[in-house]
Amino acid sequence: MVYELPKGGSVQALHDVSFELEAGRLLTLLGPSGCGKTTLLNIIAGFLAPTSGSVTLGGDPIRGPGQERGMVFQQGALFEWQSVAQNVAFGPRMNRKKRSETNELVQDLLATVGLQGFGDKAVYELSGGMQQRVALARCLANDPEIILMDEPLGALDALTREKMQSLILKLWQETGKTIVLVTHSVEEALYLGDRLFVMAPRPGRVEREYELPFAAKGLHVDPREMKASPEFIEKREELLSLIWEMEEQIMGHDGGVS
Amino acid sequence: MSTPSRLAGHAGAVRKGASGRKTVTFGDASEVKGSPLWSVASLLFVAFVWWWIKSGTEPMINDRTFPSMRQTWDAFFELATDGYRRVSLWDHTWASLWRVLKGLVYGVIVGVPVGFAMGLSNRLRGIFDPIVELLRPVPPLALLPLFIVWFGIGEGSKVNLLFFAAVWIMVIAARAGVLGVRGSKVHAAYSLGANKWQILRYVILPNALPDIFTGMRVALGVCWGTLVAAELTGTTTGLGAMIFAASKFFRMDVVVVSIIVIGVIGVAMDLVMRFLERRLIPWRGKG
Repeated sequence: MVYELPKGGSVQALHDVSFELEAGRLLTLLGPSGCGKTTLLNIIAGFLAPTSGSVTLGGDPIRGPGQERGMVFQQGALFEWQSVAQNVAFGPRMNRKKRSETNELVQDLLATVGLQGFGDKAVYELSGGMQQRVALARCLANDPEIILMDEPLGALDALTREKMQSLILKLWQETGKTIVLVTHSVEEALYLGDRLFVMAPRPGRVEREYELPFAAKGLHVDPREMKASPEFIEKREELLSLIWEMEEQIMGHDGGVS
Repeated sequence: MSTPSRLAGHAGAVRKGASGRKTVTFGDASEVKGSPLWSVASLLFVAFVWWWIKSGTEPMINDRTFPSMRQTWDAFFELATDGYRRVSLWDHTWASLWRVLKGLVYGVIVGVPVGFAMGLSNRLRGIFDPIVELLRPVPPLALLPLFIVWFGIGEGSKVNLLFFAAVWIMVIAARAGVLGVRGSKVHAAYSLGANKWQILRYVILPNALPDIFTGMRVALGVCWGTLVAAELTGTTTGLGAMIFAASKFFRMDVVVVSIIVIGVIGVAMDLVMRFLERRLIPWRGKG
Protein backbone atom coordinates (compact mmCIF):
# COMPACT_ATOMS: atom_id res chain seq x y z
CA MET A 1 0.00 0.00 0.00
CA VAL A 2 1.48 3.27 -1.04
CA TYR A 3 0.57 6.82 -0.14
CA GLU A 4 2.21 9.92 -1.42
CA LEU A 5 0.53 13.06 -0.34
CA PRO A 6 2.19 16.29 -1.25
CA LYS A 7 -0.33 19.10 -1.19
CA GLY A 8 -0.06 22.80 -1.73
CA GLY A 9 -2.57 25.61 -1.98
CA SER A 10 -3.30 29.16 -0.94
CA VAL A 11 -3.82 27.97 2.60
CA GLN A 12 -1.40 25.15 3.00
CA ALA A 13 -3.49 22.71 4.91
CA LEU A 14 -0.89 20.08 4.13
CA HIS A 15 2.62 20.54 2.81
CA ASP A 16 4.74 17.80 1.35
CA VAL A 17 3.27 14.95 3.34
CA SER A 18 4.44 11.68 1.94
CA PHE A 19 4.45 8.25 3.46
CA GLU A 20 3.80 4.62 2.86
CA LEU A 21 1.73 2.43 5.08
CA GLU A 22 1.98 -1.34 4.91
CA ALA A 23 -1.20 -3.38 5.03
CA GLY A 24 -2.34 -4.35 8.50
CA ARG A 25 -0.76 -1.43 10.35
CA LEU A 26 -2.58 0.87 12.71
CA LEU A 27 -1.46 4.43 12.13
CA THR A 28 -2.50 7.17 14.52
CA LEU A 29 -2.37 10.82 13.54
CA LEU A 30 -1.84 13.20 16.44
CA GLY A 31 -1.42 16.96 16.49
CA PRO A 32 -2.85 20.28 17.58
CA SER A 33 -5.92 21.62 15.83
CA GLY A 34 -5.24 23.00 12.38
CA CYS A 35 -2.38 20.61 11.64
CA GLY A 36 -4.31 19.03 8.78
CA LYS A 37 -4.82 15.56 10.23
CA THR A 38 -8.48 15.51 9.28
CA THR A 39 -7.62 16.99 5.88
CA LEU A 40 -5.20 14.14 5.33
CA LEU A 41 -7.82 11.61 6.36
CA ASN A 42 -10.40 13.19 4.05
CA ILE A 43 -7.96 13.00 1.15
CA ILE A 44 -7.39 9.31 1.80
CA ALA A 45 -11.15 8.80 2.11
CA GLY A 46 -11.61 10.57 -1.22
CA PHE A 47 -13.82 13.38 0.06
CA LEU A 48 -11.13 15.92 -0.87
CA ALA A 49 -8.82 15.90 -3.85
CA PRO A 50 -5.24 16.93 -3.13
CA THR A 51 -4.23 20.12 -4.95
CA SER A 52 -0.99 18.41 -5.86
CA GLY A 53 0.30 14.89 -5.52
CA SER A 54 -1.70 11.71 -5.37
CA VAL A 55 -2.80 8.96 -3.04
CA THR A 56 -2.83 5.34 -4.05
CA LEU A 57 -4.24 2.26 -2.38
CA GLY A 58 -2.58 -0.93 -3.54
CA GLY A 59 -1.23 0.95 -6.56
CA ASP A 60 -4.60 2.34 -7.66
CA PRO A 61 -5.05 6.09 -7.39
CA ILE A 62 -7.85 7.33 -5.16
CA ARG A 63 -10.31 9.54 -7.04
CA GLY A 64 -13.30 9.63 -4.74
CA PRO A 65 -14.95 7.85 -1.86
CA GLY A 66 -15.12 4.08 -2.17
CA GLN A 67 -16.17 1.18 -0.07
CA GLU A 68 -12.72 -0.35 0.11
CA ARG A 69 -12.02 2.58 2.45
CA GLY A 70 -14.44 2.48 5.36
CA MET A 71 -15.00 5.54 7.49
CA VAL A 72 -15.89 6.02 11.14
CA PHE A 73 -16.80 9.55 12.21
CA GLN A 74 -16.78 11.17 15.61
CA GLN A 75 -20.55 11.08 15.96
CA GLY A 76 -23.78 11.94 14.21
CA ALA A 77 -22.98 9.95 11.10
CA LEU A 78 -25.36 7.11 11.90
CA PHE A 79 -28.75 7.16 10.20
CA GLU A 80 -31.16 7.93 13.02
CA TRP A 81 -34.19 6.96 10.91
CA GLN A 82 -32.95 3.37 10.80
CA SER A 83 -32.63 0.74 13.48
CA VAL A 84 -29.23 -0.46 14.66
CA ALA A 85 -29.42 -3.51 12.40
CA GLN A 86 -30.48 -1.44 9.37
CA ASN A 87 -27.53 0.87 9.94
CA VAL A 88 -25.11 -2.04 9.99
CA ALA A 89 -26.79 -3.52 6.91
CA PHE A 90 -26.58 -0.25 4.97
CA GLY A 91 -23.43 -1.09 2.97
CA PRO A 92 -24.50 -4.59 1.89
CA ARG A 93 -27.94 -3.24 1.06
CA MET A 94 -26.51 -0.53 -1.18
CA ASN A 95 -24.57 -3.29 -2.92
CA ARG A 96 -27.76 -5.32 -3.33
CA LYS A 97 -26.44 -8.28 -1.36
CA LYS A 98 -28.84 -11.07 -0.49
CA ARG A 99 -31.00 -10.22 2.47
CA SER A 100 -30.49 -13.56 4.24
CA GLU A 101 -26.70 -13.33 4.01
CA THR A 102 -26.79 -9.74 5.16
CA ASN A 103 -28.93 -10.57 8.17
CA GLU A 104 -26.48 -13.22 9.24
CA LEU A 105 -23.54 -10.87 8.76
CA VAL A 106 -25.28 -8.17 10.76
CA GLN A 107 -25.88 -10.52 13.68
CA ASP A 108 -22.22 -11.60 13.62
CA LEU A 109 -20.99 -8.03 13.54
CA LEU A 110 -23.29 -6.91 16.33
CA ALA A 111 -21.91 -9.75 18.44
CA THR A 112 -18.35 -8.76 17.52
CA VAL A 113 -18.83 -5.22 18.79
CA GLY A 114 -20.75 -6.38 21.86
CA LEU A 115 -24.22 -5.32 20.79
CA GLN A 116 -26.01 -8.66 20.39
CA GLY A 117 -29.71 -8.20 20.97
CA PHE A 118 -29.66 -4.49 20.17
CA GLY A 119 -30.44 -4.85 16.46
CA ASP A 120 -34.03 -3.66 16.68
CA LYS A 121 -33.29 -0.64 18.85
CA ALA A 122 -33.39 2.83 17.40
CA VAL A 123 -29.95 4.37 17.12
CA TYR A 124 -30.90 7.32 19.31
CA GLU A 125 -31.87 5.00 22.14
CA LEU A 126 -28.23 3.97 22.55
CA SER A 127 -25.51 5.71 24.53
CA GLY A 128 -22.68 7.49 22.75
CA GLY A 129 -20.32 4.55 23.25
CA MET A 130 -22.82 2.07 21.88
CA GLN A 131 -23.47 4.32 18.89
CA GLN A 132 -19.79 4.22 18.04
CA ARG A 133 -19.92 0.43 18.29
CA VAL A 134 -22.69 0.54 15.68
CA ALA A 135 -20.54 2.82 13.52
CA LEU A 136 -17.66 0.31 13.73
CA ALA A 137 -19.93 -2.59 12.83
CA ARG A 138 -21.46 -0.67 9.95
CA CYS A 139 -18.02 0.06 8.58
CA LEU A 140 -16.90 -3.58 8.92
CA ALA A 141 -20.02 -4.84 7.12
CA ASN A 142 -18.52 -3.92 3.76
CA ASP A 143 -15.25 -5.66 4.61
CA PRO A 144 -13.09 -2.64 3.65
CA GLU A 145 -9.36 -2.94 3.07
CA ILE A 146 -8.67 0.04 5.24
CA ILE A 147 -10.64 1.79 7.96
CA LEU A 148 -10.35 5.52 8.46
CA MET A 149 -11.36 6.88 11.83
CA ASP A 150 -11.85 10.59 12.43
CA GLU A 151 -11.67 11.05 16.21
CA PRO A 152 -14.00 8.10 16.68
CA LEU A 153 -13.90 8.31 20.46
CA GLY A 154 -13.66 12.08 20.77
CA ALA A 155 -17.18 12.60 22.06
CA LEU A 156 -17.13 9.83 24.68
CA ASP A 157 -16.57 10.14 28.40
CA ALA A 158 -13.20 9.00 29.74
CA LEU A 159 -14.28 5.59 31.01
CA THR A 160 -16.24 4.62 27.91
CA ARG A 161 -13.36 5.84 25.84
CA GLU A 162 -10.92 3.41 27.46
CA LYS A 163 -13.27 0.50 26.86
CA MET A 164 -13.69 1.51 23.23
CA GLN A 165 -9.94 1.75 22.76
CA SER A 166 -9.67 -1.89 23.74
CA LEU A 167 -12.45 -2.74 21.29
CA ILE A 168 -10.62 -0.99 18.45
CA LEU A 169 -7.44 -2.89 19.30
CA LYS A 170 -9.35 -6.15 19.40
CA LEU A 171 -10.99 -5.50 16.03
CA TRP A 172 -7.67 -4.52 14.52
CA GLN A 173 -5.96 -7.68 15.70
CA GLU A 174 -8.84 -9.98 14.85
CA THR A 175 -9.56 -8.60 11.38
CA GLY A 176 -6.03 -7.60 10.39
CA LYS A 177 -7.39 -4.45 8.76
CA THR A 178 -5.27 -1.41 8.07
CA ILE A 179 -6.47 1.46 10.23
CA VAL A 180 -5.71 5.18 10.16
CA LEU A 181 -7.02 6.92 13.25
CA VAL A 182 -7.05 10.64 13.96
CA THR A 183 -7.07 11.66 17.59
CA HIS A 184 -6.53 14.60 19.91
CA SER A 185 -5.55 12.38 22.79
CA VAL A 186 -1.85 11.69 23.30
CA GLU A 187 -2.61 8.62 25.37
CA GLU A 188 -4.95 7.22 22.73
CA ALA A 189 -2.48 7.83 19.92
CA LEU A 190 0.23 6.01 21.88
CA TYR A 191 -1.91 3.15 23.05
CA LEU A 192 -3.57 2.38 19.72
CA GLY A 193 -0.93 3.33 17.18
CA ASP A 194 1.67 0.81 16.17
CA ARG A 195 2.75 3.71 14.03
CA LEU A 196 2.26 7.31 15.07
CA PHE A 197 2.64 10.58 13.19
CA VAL A 198 2.86 13.75 15.20
CA MET A 199 1.64 16.47 12.86
CA ALA A 200 2.43 20.18 13.06
CA PRO A 201 0.45 23.14 11.73
CA ARG A 202 1.15 26.02 9.32
CA PRO A 203 1.73 24.37 6.99
CA GLY A 204 0.30 21.01 8.02
CA ARG A 205 3.09 18.46 7.97
CA VAL A 206 4.38 15.33 9.65
CA GLU A 207 6.70 16.59 12.35
CA ARG A 208 7.84 13.29 13.81
CA GLU A 209 7.20 9.58 13.30
CA TYR A 210 7.19 6.81 15.86
CA GLU A 211 7.12 3.02 15.74
CA LEU A 212 5.41 1.90 18.92
CA PRO A 213 5.21 -1.43 20.78
CA PHE A 214 2.09 -0.77 22.85
CA ALA A 215 -0.65 -1.70 20.39
CA ALA A 216 0.86 -5.10 19.70
CA LYS A 217 0.99 -5.89 23.42
CA GLY A 218 -2.33 -4.23 24.02
CA LEU A 219 -4.54 -7.27 24.20
CA HIS A 220 -2.35 -9.33 26.48
CA VAL A 221 -1.54 -6.66 29.01
CA ASP A 222 -4.08 -4.84 31.12
CA PRO A 223 -4.59 -1.41 29.55
CA ARG A 224 -4.36 0.41 32.88
CA GLU A 225 -1.09 -1.33 33.65
CA MET A 226 0.25 -0.58 30.22
CA LYS A 227 -0.61 3.09 30.47
CA ALA A 228 1.09 3.23 33.88
CA SER A 229 4.29 1.54 32.66
CA PRO A 230 7.49 3.63 32.66
CA GLU A 231 8.00 3.31 28.87
CA PHE A 232 4.50 4.50 28.18
CA ILE A 233 4.77 7.43 30.55
CA GLU A 234 8.13 8.43 29.11
CA LYS A 235 6.74 8.50 25.56
CA ARG A 236 3.64 10.31 26.73
CA GLU A 237 5.65 13.08 28.36
CA GLU A 238 7.85 13.37 25.28
CA LEU A 239 4.84 13.79 23.01
CA LEU A 240 3.09 16.16 25.39
CA SER A 241 6.06 18.51 25.53
CA LEU A 242 6.41 18.33 21.75
CA ILE A 243 2.78 19.31 21.24
CA TRP A 244 2.91 21.84 24.04
CA GLU A 245 5.78 23.55 22.25
CA MET A 246 3.78 23.69 19.04
CA GLU A 247 0.81 25.18 20.83
CA GLU A 248 3.06 27.83 22.36
CA GLN A 249 4.38 28.75 18.94
CA ILE A 250 0.87 29.01 17.54
CA MET A 251 -0.39 31.17 20.38
CA GLY A 252 2.72 33.37 20.50
CA HIS A 253 4.72 33.55 23.69
CA ASP A 254 2.45 36.01 25.44
CA GLY A 255 -0.82 34.45 24.32
CA GLY A 256 -0.29 31.00 25.72
CA VAL A 257 -0.33 31.01 29.47
CA SER A 258 -1.48 34.02 31.40
CA MET B 1 -13.26 40.25 56.03
CA SER B 2 -15.50 37.25 56.15
CA THR B 3 -14.30 33.91 57.35
CA PRO B 4 -14.58 31.02 54.89
CA SER B 5 -17.85 29.18 55.51
CA ARG B 6 -17.87 25.52 56.30
CA LEU B 7 -20.05 23.35 54.08
CA ALA B 8 -21.56 20.34 55.73
CA GLY B 9 -24.32 18.10 54.50
CA HIS B 10 -26.48 15.06 54.96
CA ALA B 11 -28.70 14.52 51.93
CA GLY B 12 -31.03 12.07 50.29
CA ALA B 13 -32.83 12.76 47.02
CA VAL B 14 -35.64 11.05 45.22
CA ARG B 15 -36.21 11.81 41.61
CA LYS B 16 -39.88 12.30 40.85
CA GLY B 17 -40.55 12.78 37.17
CA ALA B 18 -39.24 15.78 35.36
CA SER B 19 -40.06 18.39 37.93
CA GLY B 20 -38.75 16.53 40.99
CA ARG B 21 -37.85 19.12 43.56
CA LYS B 22 -36.20 21.79 41.49
CA THR B 23 -35.88 25.14 43.20
CA VAL B 24 -35.23 27.02 39.98
CA THR B 25 -38.26 26.88 37.70
CA PHE B 26 -38.62 30.41 36.39
CA GLY B 27 -36.76 30.44 33.07
CA ASP B 28 -36.48 26.65 32.95
CA ALA B 29 -38.39 25.86 29.76
CA SER B 30 -38.71 22.17 30.67
CA GLU B 31 -40.82 23.21 33.64
CA VAL B 32 -43.38 25.13 31.57
CA LYS B 33 -45.88 22.59 30.25
CA GLY B 34 -49.10 24.51 30.64
CA SER B 35 -51.87 23.76 33.09
CA PRO B 36 -55.09 22.02 31.97
CA LEU B 37 -56.92 23.46 34.96
CA TRP B 38 -56.19 27.01 33.87
CA SER B 39 -57.08 26.15 30.27
CA VAL B 40 -60.51 25.00 31.39
CA ALA B 41 -60.87 28.11 33.54
CA SER B 42 -59.93 30.25 30.56
CA LEU B 43 -62.63 28.64 28.38
CA LEU B 44 -65.18 29.00 31.16
CA PHE B 45 -64.30 32.68 31.43
CA VAL B 46 -64.89 33.21 27.71
CA ALA B 47 -68.23 31.42 28.04
CA PHE B 48 -69.10 33.60 31.00
CA VAL B 49 -68.34 36.81 29.10
CA TRP B 50 -70.46 35.55 26.22
CA TRP B 51 -73.36 34.77 28.57
CA TRP B 52 -72.94 38.11 30.39
CA ILE B 53 -73.08 40.34 27.31
CA LYS B 54 -76.31 38.61 26.28
CA SER B 55 -77.93 38.41 29.72
CA GLY B 56 -80.95 40.30 31.03
CA THR B 57 -84.04 41.51 29.22
CA GLU B 58 -82.08 44.27 27.47
CA PRO B 59 -78.74 42.67 26.66
CA MET B 60 -75.69 44.80 25.93
CA ILE B 61 -75.45 43.41 22.43
CA ASN B 62 -78.47 42.66 20.27
CA ASP B 63 -79.09 39.50 18.26
CA ARG B 64 -78.35 41.15 14.93
CA THR B 65 -74.80 41.85 16.08
CA PHE B 66 -73.97 38.69 17.99
CA PRO B 67 -76.07 35.64 18.84
CA SER B 68 -76.49 34.21 22.32
CA MET B 69 -75.03 30.86 23.27
CA ARG B 70 -78.48 29.36 23.17
CA GLN B 71 -79.16 30.65 19.64
CA THR B 72 -75.77 29.43 18.52
CA TRP B 73 -76.41 25.98 19.90
CA ASP B 74 -79.83 25.87 18.23
CA ALA B 75 -78.29 27.01 14.96
CA PHE B 76 -75.64 24.31 15.28
CA PHE B 77 -78.31 21.70 15.92
CA GLU B 78 -80.34 22.92 12.97
CA LEU B 79 -77.31 22.96 10.68
CA ALA B 80 -76.22 19.53 11.79
CA THR B 81 -79.62 17.98 11.16
CA ASP B 82 -81.35 19.98 8.40
CA GLY B 83 -78.37 21.78 7.00
CA TYR B 84 -78.16 25.29 5.67
CA ARG B 85 -79.93 25.90 2.38
CA ARG B 86 -80.43 22.18 2.08
CA VAL B 87 -76.72 21.39 2.34
CA SER B 88 -75.82 19.83 5.67
CA LEU B 89 -73.10 21.23 7.88
CA TRP B 90 -71.08 18.06 7.31
CA ASP B 91 -71.25 18.48 3.54
CA HIS B 92 -70.08 22.07 3.87
CA THR B 93 -67.26 20.99 6.15
CA TRP B 94 -66.30 18.11 3.94
CA ALA B 95 -66.31 20.34 0.84
CA SER B 96 -63.88 22.69 2.55
CA LEU B 97 -61.65 19.91 3.90
CA TRP B 98 -61.50 18.17 0.54
CA ARG B 99 -60.35 21.39 -1.20
CA VAL B 100 -57.68 21.96 1.41
CA LEU B 101 -56.40 18.39 1.16
CA LYS B 102 -56.24 18.57 -2.64
CA GLY B 103 -54.40 21.89 -2.54
CA LEU B 104 -51.97 20.55 0.05
CA VAL B 105 -51.28 17.30 -1.80
CA TYR B 106 -50.58 19.14 -5.05
CA GLY B 107 -48.39 21.58 -3.15
CA VAL B 108 -46.37 18.70 -1.68
CA ILE B 109 -46.10 16.86 -5.01
CA VAL B 110 -44.69 19.95 -6.76
CA GLY B 111 -43.01 21.72 -3.86
CA VAL B 112 -40.87 18.90 -2.48
CA PRO B 113 -39.07 18.03 -5.74
CA VAL B 114 -38.49 21.73 -6.46
CA GLY B 115 -37.14 22.26 -2.96
CA PHE B 116 -34.87 19.22 -3.33
CA ALA B 117 -33.61 20.48 -6.66
CA MET B 118 -32.84 23.84 -5.10
CA GLY B 119 -30.94 22.19 -2.30
CA LEU B 120 -28.92 19.92 -4.57
CA SER B 121 -27.92 21.89 -7.65
CA ASN B 122 -26.43 25.34 -8.10
CA ARG B 123 -28.04 25.74 -11.49
CA LEU B 124 -31.53 24.77 -10.35
CA ARG B 125 -31.13 26.92 -7.24
CA GLY B 126 -30.30 29.82 -9.53
CA ILE B 127 -33.25 29.14 -11.79
CA PHE B 128 -35.88 28.75 -9.07
CA ASP B 129 -34.61 31.28 -6.53
CA PRO B 130 -36.03 34.46 -8.13
CA ILE B 131 -39.35 32.79 -8.90
CA VAL B 132 -39.78 31.42 -5.42
CA GLU B 133 -38.63 34.57 -3.67
CA LEU B 134 -40.90 36.79 -5.79
CA LEU B 135 -44.05 34.71 -5.52
CA ARG B 136 -43.66 33.51 -1.93
CA PRO B 137 -44.65 36.79 -0.27
CA VAL B 138 -47.70 37.32 -2.52
CA PRO B 139 -50.90 36.70 -0.56
CA PRO B 140 -52.75 33.94 -2.41
CA LEU B 141 -56.00 35.94 -2.46
CA ALA B 142 -54.31 38.59 -4.60
CA LEU B 143 -54.25 36.00 -7.34
CA LEU B 144 -57.90 35.05 -7.06
CA PRO B 145 -59.05 37.30 -9.96
CA LEU B 146 -56.42 35.76 -12.25
CA PHE B 147 -57.21 32.25 -11.14
CA ILE B 148 -60.93 32.76 -11.69
CA VAL B 149 -60.22 33.84 -15.26
CA TRP B 150 -57.82 30.97 -15.85
CA PHE B 151 -59.46 28.09 -14.03
CA GLY B 152 -63.10 29.15 -13.88
CA ILE B 153 -65.09 30.36 -10.94
CA GLY B 154 -65.72 26.88 -9.51
CA GLU B 155 -63.46 24.23 -7.97
CA GLY B 156 -60.51 24.84 -10.28
CA SER B 157 -59.67 28.32 -9.08
CA LYS B 158 -60.09 27.36 -5.43
CA VAL B 159 -57.89 24.29 -5.47
CA ASN B 160 -55.27 26.12 -7.50
CA LEU B 161 -55.32 28.97 -5.04
CA LEU B 162 -54.73 26.55 -2.18
CA PHE B 163 -52.00 24.88 -4.18
CA PHE B 164 -50.40 28.31 -4.56
CA ALA B 165 -50.66 28.88 -0.82
CA ALA B 166 -49.03 25.52 -0.03
CA VAL B 167 -46.38 25.14 -2.69
CA TRP B 168 -43.91 27.83 -1.58
CA ILE B 169 -44.05 26.66 1.99
CA MET B 170 -43.25 23.13 0.82
CA VAL B 171 -40.42 24.36 -1.41
CA ILE B 172 -38.79 26.21 1.47
CA ALA B 173 -39.32 23.30 3.86
CA ALA B 174 -37.89 20.70 1.49
CA ARG B 175 -34.92 22.91 0.69
CA ALA B 176 -34.24 23.42 4.40
CA GLY B 177 -34.45 19.65 4.87
CA VAL B 178 -31.85 19.03 2.20
CA LEU B 179 -29.53 21.76 3.46
CA GLY B 180 -29.82 20.34 6.96
CA VAL B 181 -28.19 17.03 6.04
CA ARG B 182 -24.97 16.57 7.94
CA GLY B 183 -22.00 16.24 5.64
CA SER B 184 -20.70 13.29 7.61
CA LYS B 185 -23.88 11.29 6.93
CA VAL B 186 -23.52 11.79 3.19
CA HIS B 187 -19.82 10.99 3.39
CA ALA B 188 -20.51 7.87 5.41
CA ALA B 189 -23.06 6.70 2.85
CA TYR B 190 -20.65 7.25 -0.05
CA SER B 191 -17.96 5.32 1.83
CA LEU B 192 -20.43 2.49 2.27
CA GLY B 193 -20.82 2.24 -1.48
CA ALA B 194 -24.00 4.24 -2.09
CA ASN B 195 -24.46 5.94 -5.46
CA LYS B 196 -26.06 9.35 -5.97
CA TRP B 197 -29.55 7.97 -6.37
CA GLN B 198 -29.17 5.87 -3.22
CA ILE B 199 -27.85 8.89 -1.31
CA LEU B 200 -30.97 10.79 -2.35
CA ARG B 201 -33.35 7.97 -1.52
CA TYR B 202 -31.81 6.56 1.65
CA VAL B 203 -30.03 9.55 3.21
CA ILE B 204 -31.32 12.91 2.00
CA LEU B 205 -35.02 12.05 1.81
CA PRO B 206 -35.38 10.49 5.28
CA ASN B 207 -33.20 13.23 6.71
CA ALA B 208 -35.48 15.89 5.19
CA LEU B 209 -38.74 14.24 6.29
CA PRO B 210 -39.01 16.08 9.61
CA ASP B 211 -38.68 19.43 7.83
CA ILE B 212 -41.12 18.36 5.13
CA PHE B 213 -43.59 17.38 7.81
CA THR B 214 -43.24 20.71 9.57
CA GLY B 215 -43.84 22.37 6.20
CA MET B 216 -47.01 20.32 5.73
CA ARG B 217 -48.27 21.37 9.13
CA VAL B 218 -47.67 25.03 8.39
CA ALA B 219 -49.11 24.72 4.87
CA LEU B 220 -52.21 22.99 6.16
CA GLY B 221 -52.85 25.87 8.56
CA VAL B 222 -52.25 28.51 5.90
CA CYS B 223 -54.49 26.68 3.38
CA TRP B 224 -57.26 26.38 5.91
CA GLY B 225 -57.07 30.10 6.55
CA THR B 226 -56.97 30.98 2.87
CA LEU B 227 -59.79 28.64 2.00
CA VAL B 228 -62.58 30.41 3.83
CA ALA B 229 -61.73 33.60 1.99
CA ALA B 230 -61.54 31.74 -1.31
CA GLU B 231 -65.00 30.27 -0.79
CA LEU B 232 -66.61 33.69 -0.49
CA THR B 233 -67.29 33.65 -4.21
CA GLY B 234 -68.28 31.17 -6.83
CA THR B 235 -69.50 28.30 -4.72
CA THR B 236 -72.45 27.32 -2.58
CA THR B 237 -70.62 24.67 -0.61
CA GLY B 238 -67.93 25.06 2.01
CA LEU B 239 -67.77 26.79 5.36
CA GLY B 240 -66.68 30.08 3.77
CA ALA B 241 -69.64 30.02 1.39
CA MET B 242 -71.92 29.28 4.32
CA ILE B 243 -70.60 32.31 6.21
CA PHE B 244 -71.03 34.54 3.20
CA ALA B 245 -74.57 33.36 2.46
CA ALA B 246 -75.62 33.63 6.10
CA SER B 247 -74.24 37.16 6.44
CA LYS B 248 -76.52 38.34 3.66
CA PHE B 249 -79.51 37.37 5.78
CA PHE B 250 -77.99 38.56 9.06
CA ARG B 251 -77.89 34.98 10.31
CA MET B 252 -75.13 35.76 12.77
CA ASP B 253 -75.84 32.52 14.60
CA VAL B 254 -74.89 30.57 11.48
CA VAL B 255 -71.81 32.76 11.03
CA VAL B 256 -70.67 32.08 14.59
CA VAL B 257 -71.26 28.34 14.25
CA SER B 258 -69.13 28.34 11.09
CA ILE B 259 -66.37 30.25 12.82
CA ILE B 260 -66.33 27.79 15.71
CA VAL B 261 -66.32 24.81 13.35
CA ILE B 262 -63.46 26.36 11.37
CA GLY B 263 -61.46 26.86 14.56
CA VAL B 264 -62.15 23.40 15.94
CA ILE B 265 -61.23 21.73 12.67
CA GLY B 266 -58.03 23.78 12.48
CA VAL B 267 -57.05 22.53 15.93
CA ALA B 268 -58.08 18.97 15.06
CA MET B 269 -55.99 18.97 11.89
CA ASP B 270 -52.96 20.13 13.81
CA LEU B 271 -53.47 17.43 16.42
CA VAL B 272 -53.75 14.80 13.70
CA MET B 273 -50.56 16.07 12.07
CA ARG B 274 -48.73 15.98 15.40
CA PHE B 275 -49.95 12.46 16.03
CA LEU B 276 -48.81 11.36 12.56
CA GLU B 277 -45.48 13.06 13.11
CA ARG B 278 -44.86 11.14 16.32
CA ARG B 279 -45.82 7.89 14.61
CA LEU B 280 -44.08 8.38 11.29
CA ILE B 281 -40.91 10.25 12.25
CA PRO B 282 -40.02 9.30 15.80
CA TRP B 283 -36.39 10.19 15.10
CA ARG B 284 -37.12 13.92 14.73
CA GLY B 285 -34.48 15.96 16.49
CA LYS B 286 -32.55 12.87 17.55
CA GLY B 287 -29.76 13.06 14.95
